[in-house]
Amino acid sequence: MEVTLQVGCAAEANASLAESLEWERSAKLRPLLDGLAPLFEGLEVRRTSYGAEFCEHLLPAPEALRAVRAACTRPFTFLTPYVGDAGLAKLRALLPELRPGDEVIFSDWGVLNVLHREFPHLVPVQGRLLNKSLRDPRVMGLYAEAGPGPTLTVLQGSNLDNRAYTAMLRRFGVQRAEIDGLPQGNDLATASMELTACLPYGFISTARVCQAAGLGYRKTEKFQPAALCKQECQTFLLEHAYTNSPFENRDQKFWLKGNSYFYLHTPAMVKALVRSAREGALARLHLQTRLPMLANGVAA
Amino acid sequence: MKILAPIREIDELEMLHAAGAEELFCGFVPQDWLDRYQGAVWLNRRSTKGSSLETLSDMRALTDAAHTKGLPVFVTFNAPYYTAEQTELVMDLAQRLSEECGVDAFIVSDVNLMLRLSEARLHAGTHVSSVAATLNLEAIRFLLNFGPNRVILPRSVTLAEIASIKKGVGSDCEIEVFMLNDGCAFEEGFCATTHHHSVGAFCTSLSGMQTDFEWHGRYFSVRRRAWLRRNLEDYREWVWYLNGNGCGSTAKGLPYGPCGLCAVPDLLKTGVDSLKIVGREASPLKKLASVKMVADIVHRARHGVPKPVVIERAISLRQAPEHCHSGYMCYYKVDA
Repeated sequence: MEVTLQVGCAAEANASLAESLEWERSAKLRPLLDGLAPLFEGLEVRRTSYGAEFCEHLLPAPEALRAVRAACTRPFTFLTPYVGDAGLAKLRALLPELRPGDEVIFSDWGVLNVLHREFPHLVPVQGRLLNKSLRDPRVMGLYAEAGPGPTLTVLQGSNLDNRAYTAMLRRFGVQRAEIDGLPQGNDLATASMELTACLPYGFISTARVCQAAGLGYRKTEKFQPAALCKQECQTFLLEHAYTNSPFENRDQKFWLKGNSYFYLHTPAMVKALVRSAREGALARLHLQTRLPMLANGVAA
Repeated sequence: MKILAPIREIDELEMLHAAGAEELFCGFVPQDWLDRYQGAVWLNRRSTKGSSLETLSDMRALTDAAHTKGLPVFVTFNAPYYTAEQTELVMDLAQRLSEECGVDAFIVSDVNLMLRLSEARLHAGTHVSSVAATLNLEAIRFLLNFGPNRVILPRSVTLAEIASIKKGVGSDCEIEVFMLNDGCAFEEGFCATTHHHSVGAFCTSLSGMQTDFEWHGRYFSVRRRAWLRRNLEDYREWVWYLNGNGCGSTAKGLPYGPCGLCAVPDLLKTGVDSLKIVGREASPLKKLASVKMVADIVHRARHGVPKPVVIERAISLRQAPEHCHSGYMCYYKVDA
């Protein structure tokens, strides 16, 4: 089993898992992460990831990527987000900084097209945003509690269940995909591809309209798609408690960082993913010990 | 540039056509699907009852009648994904809807289904749904591998991006954009939540949740806290607009909701092929009012009415200038 660790700068490029567990500064998230930390015992980091899965404005500057890549002595994975044409142009300028054999997580079909045509020496990996499955933490756990049936079978599966689809991905050089731990449980047996599970945060939703970026605009100008920002997302975390739930999960928490909402895997979900990795059903674990919305030394 | 209208049943056809609809789309959910899948597993991103046609004979009657009026009919198979078992069911439905009912195209999000449809070589074409999150020209080039006739751009694609994409894609496929009704706070193709009635949409549900800010700077002053809180309230107001102004309507019963009417002259200029009116599940009145509004504006733009005059007309049609001027009810930011 291989473990990847996401880092945010060159100084962190070869950090250990134990070191990374000290990075979280949020008083809300740190105790929760500390509670999960014992479940990661025995895992050894063998790969480094760096970049941005959820926002094109968090793509690093070329010099920042260059510094991380130069400092990193482990195999390297570069995380990329969904992009408009402007974001894709920025990303295109970053890809030459990578080395042959480096992995690129893609979250956008346009990025895969560019990788396939212009950067065949890089290894494309389907990101979790393109691993289609419902992850709604408000309600999905209830389907698992309701027990087996056609509905739960569908909810525990994903688009990766289709062999024609994974065969098509292979034609584009994609051999591996990233997934989230699902509140309703993952059926890993049906996926016909090597899988990496991201933890401990799963994404709920993400947008080109960023609530945090709205802080920099007059009211009538707020909430425009792909609006330029000053990384306001790095200045605060917004915690939501599901106090309006029609069920009993009114203490459930979700977190907004910038343009994306996340849930935290429960101890049972983390245990299940680690066990799956140890047993070989998952090829890798991708640990992100901070919410995966890091500043990265952002491009201009 | 065509006007694409939603339709729920054949009884709506005459009025939609008379009002100016030039293309139609609908959902189709057969009883077999309803028997097998419940709850959150929707065939076409709408609740399983009341939004779609349910029998092949109804579907055939609709397409036959629409075709006599020169209107093509598109059917939504736009779930974000279908598992292997579901894909076989959907392919069987697609075969019958295309070959037996004469459906003109399927609106598809799942790349696997696009791939399978392209291999099946049905008479019906494929339209890439906005749920496929096609945000850039390269993404369209990738999806052209699966032979779509049309790509529906997500709501978050700006006017400038639409113009650039349309220019880049040329005649390789048609481009459709959103024009009226439902909004989406998140990128629809990257929203992993359900709209199931038990919990409602995640974006609107958030507005009713208890929240707490954590500041990651040096000092979390009262002023900063108020700044964050005010921005959150603005965001919630924006979501309220996306949700059809809280599902409201004007004094005359016209529906509120996100709108791109002021952008019609620009969209016409860029060569966009189709304008989508959302709302398969909406009442006949809402559908009719929506098509009338869009047709009124498109007619003026087609006849060269100056853009400022078209915009003025659009605002007057919505009958609520204060909402138009909020800036939160618009799909697109238009330079007047």
